[in-house]
Amino acid sequence: MTLTIELNQVTLKRDDQTVLSDLNLTLSERRIGLIGNNGSGKSSLVRLFNGLLQPSQGRLQVRGHNPAGGPEAMADQVGFIFQNPDHQLIFPTVIEELMFGLRNQGLSKADARERAEHCLREHRRLDWAERPVHSLSEGQKQWVCIMAVLVMNPAVLILDEPFSALDLPTRQFLTDWLLGLPQQLIMISHDLDVLAAFDRVLWLEQGQVRGDGDPETVIADYRTACNEAFSL
Amino acid sequence: MMTLYVHRQSWLHRQPAGLKLLVLMATSVALYALTSLWTAGAALIAVILAYRSLGPAGWSYLWVVKPLLPMFILIFVVQTWSQSVSAAILMLLRMLTLIWLANLVTLTTRMDAMMDAVMPILSPFRRVGVAPHRIAFTVALFVRFVPVLMAVLNSLLEAWKSRGGGRAVWRLAIPMLINAIRMSDHVAQALAARGGVRSPETPVSMVQPQ
Amino acid sequence: MKDQALVQMALYAALVAALGLIPPVPFVTGIPITAQTLGVMLAGVMLGPWRGFLSMLLFVGVVALGAPLLSGGRGGLGVFASPTTGFIIGFPVAALVAGYVARLLQRQSILIAAGVGAFVGGILVLYVFGIVGFKLVTGSEWLRSVQVMAVYVPGDSVKVVLTALVAQAVYKGLPGAVATRQA
Repeated sequence: MTLTIELNQVTLKRDDQTVLSDLNLTLSERRIGLIGNNGSGKSSLVRLFNGLLQPSQGRLQVRGHNPAGGPEAMADQVGFIFQNPDHQLIFPTVIEELMFGLRNQGLSKADARERAEHCLREHRRLDWAERPVHSLSEGQKQWVCIMAVLVMNPAVLILDEPFSALDLPTRQFLTDWLLGLPQQLIMISHDLDVLAAFDRVLWLEQGQVRGDGDPETVIADYRTACNEAFSL
Repeated sequence: MMTLYVHRQSWLHRQPAGLKLLVLMATSVALYALTSLWTAGAALIAVILAYRSLGPAGWSYLWVVKPLLPMFILIFVVQTWSQSVSAAILMLLRMLTLIWLANLVTLTTRMDAMMDAVMPILSPFRRVGVAPHRIAFTVALFVRFVPVLMAVLNSLLEAWKSRGGGRAVWRLAIPMLINAIRMSDHVAQALAARGGVRSPETPVSMVQPQ
Repeated sequence: MKDQALVQMALYAALVAALGLIPPVPFVTGIPITAQTLGVMLAGVMLGPWRGFLSMLLFVGVVALGAPLLSGGRGGLGVFASPTTGFIIGFPVAALVAGYVARLLQRQSILIAAGVGAFVGGILVLYVFGIVGFKLVTGSEWLRSVQVMAVYVPGDSVKVVLTALVAQAVYKGLPGAVATRQA
C-alpha cells in the first residue's frame, strides 16, 4: 500500500475557470502545509484528495485509492475538517456527532456508541458525551469536529483553515495535539506561525505551485511577495 | 443577484411593467374563455415568435417547460381519456401559451420595475404596520441572505458527505435552521445599533450577516 | 411591526429558498417532493401563524418578481401559469394554518404540535390549494384533479414527520425560537 498522494498532470476547471493547472505532485511527508492568497486554488486542491471535487484532466491517487468514487467512498481513508464548526456540526450532542461517521462506516448503534465513548475516554472527556454541541465554545466545537473525524480512523487528515475563528491559546493547543497524531496531516492555514513545525510547505498561486520546500524558506518568500505585491 | 431577467434592448423590454402585467392578465382571461383550437394555436405561435426578440438564442428559453414535460404528458392522457383529444389539445395549447407568455414577461422585466409597478397594491399593509419602504427593505434583506444560507448549506453538505453521508440529508435542516436563527438575531441587533429601518433610504448594505 | 420581526421573516424566506437547493426526490410524473415545503411548515411552526404567513408571502412574492428560488431553480410568472401553481400560492396559507394548529396544541409535546400542524397545513390545506390550482389551470374535472394530486400525498407525508423531528431538535437547543410555544 502506498503511503503517498500522487497527482499526475492534474487540471481542475470550475465554471469555465481554470482553478488548477497541470499539477504534478507527490505528497508523502507527514506534515504538509498549504499557503497562498484567496483564489489560489488551495481549497480546491485539497478537495480533490477526498473526492469532493473531481479533476477535469489528469490522474490522482490517494494512498492507492482513486477518489473518483466520491467523498463517501473516501471517508475511511481521508478525514476532512472545515473552517467553521457551525457549518459542520449536525447532531445535538457530542456523542451523536461522533457516532455519525461510525454508523456510516457500518457499525451498529451499540458498537458506534462504544467506540465513540472509548475515544472520549482516551482524551479524558467522557463527561462531554451528552453535552449539547451548541453549548460549547468555538474551540471546543472545533475539537469535537476533529474528534468526529478521528474516531473514523482515517490515514490522512485534511484541514481547511481550521483555526480561523479561534484565539491564540486555543490554536496552540489544537496544533500541538494535531502534530502528535499518527495521521498524515495536510493543512491550509493563513496563520503562518502554525506551519513552522511542518515538514513541507506548498505555496499555491493562481492554480500553480509557486513555492515548495521547507517551511522557513517558503514562508519567508511568501511574506516577501505579499509585502511587495499588494493592492486592493 | 440571481434573477431570471435577460438583459437586452428589445421592444418588449421597453414596455412598462404595469402594462405587461395587465396584458398578461387580460390574455389569461381571454384564453380561458376561448374554445377554438385554431385561435389557441395562433396565440401559441404568436408567443413563440415573440421569444425571438430575446435574441438569436431566444427560442432556447422555451425550454423552461422542460421539467413540466412528464406532467404535461400525464395530463394530456388523462384529459383524452376522460374528455376528448380535442379538449386535451386545447388545454395543452392554452397552458403552454400562458406559461410561455408569463415567462416572457419575467424575462423582459427587471425585478425592481416589477416591484414598483406592484407597490400601490401593497399600501393596505400600512395598516398592519408595514409601510412600503419597510417591505422594500425586507425584500432586499431576503435577497441578500439567500446566497449566504445557500453557502451554509453547501458547507454542511460537504461535511456530511466527507463523513460518509447517506440519504438522511433532511437532517441538515436542523443546523440550517439554527444558523438562520442565529443570523437573524445578529442582524436584528446590528440593525438596532444603527437606528433601525426608519427612513425609506435605509440601505441593506449596512447590515452584515455575521 | 418591529424590525426584529421583519428580519426573521426575511431569514425564514431565505431559508426556504436555500432548502430548494437540496435535490428533490424525483417523482415519475412531475411534482417533485422537495425539502422546500419542509421549510414552509417550519416557518409556520417556528414563527407563528401571522409571521409565518407573511414570511412565505414574501417568498412567493419575490419568486413572482423573477427570482429562481423554487426547487429546481424555477421562478418568475411562468410558475403561476403552470399546473403546480396552487401549491406555490398555497405556501403562505399552509404556513399560517401549520402555525395556528401548532399553537393550539402547544400543551402537547412539540412532536405532536408540529406534526399535526404540518399535516393540517402542509397536506390538507396545501393540497386543497394544489387541487384547485390544477383544476383551474388545466381545465380538468374535479375528480380527475383530485385523483392526480392524491398520488403525491403518501410521499409528501414524509415532510410531516420531518417537520416534527426538526422542530423538536431545534426546540431542544433553542426553545425561545419556537414562537408557537410561548405561554
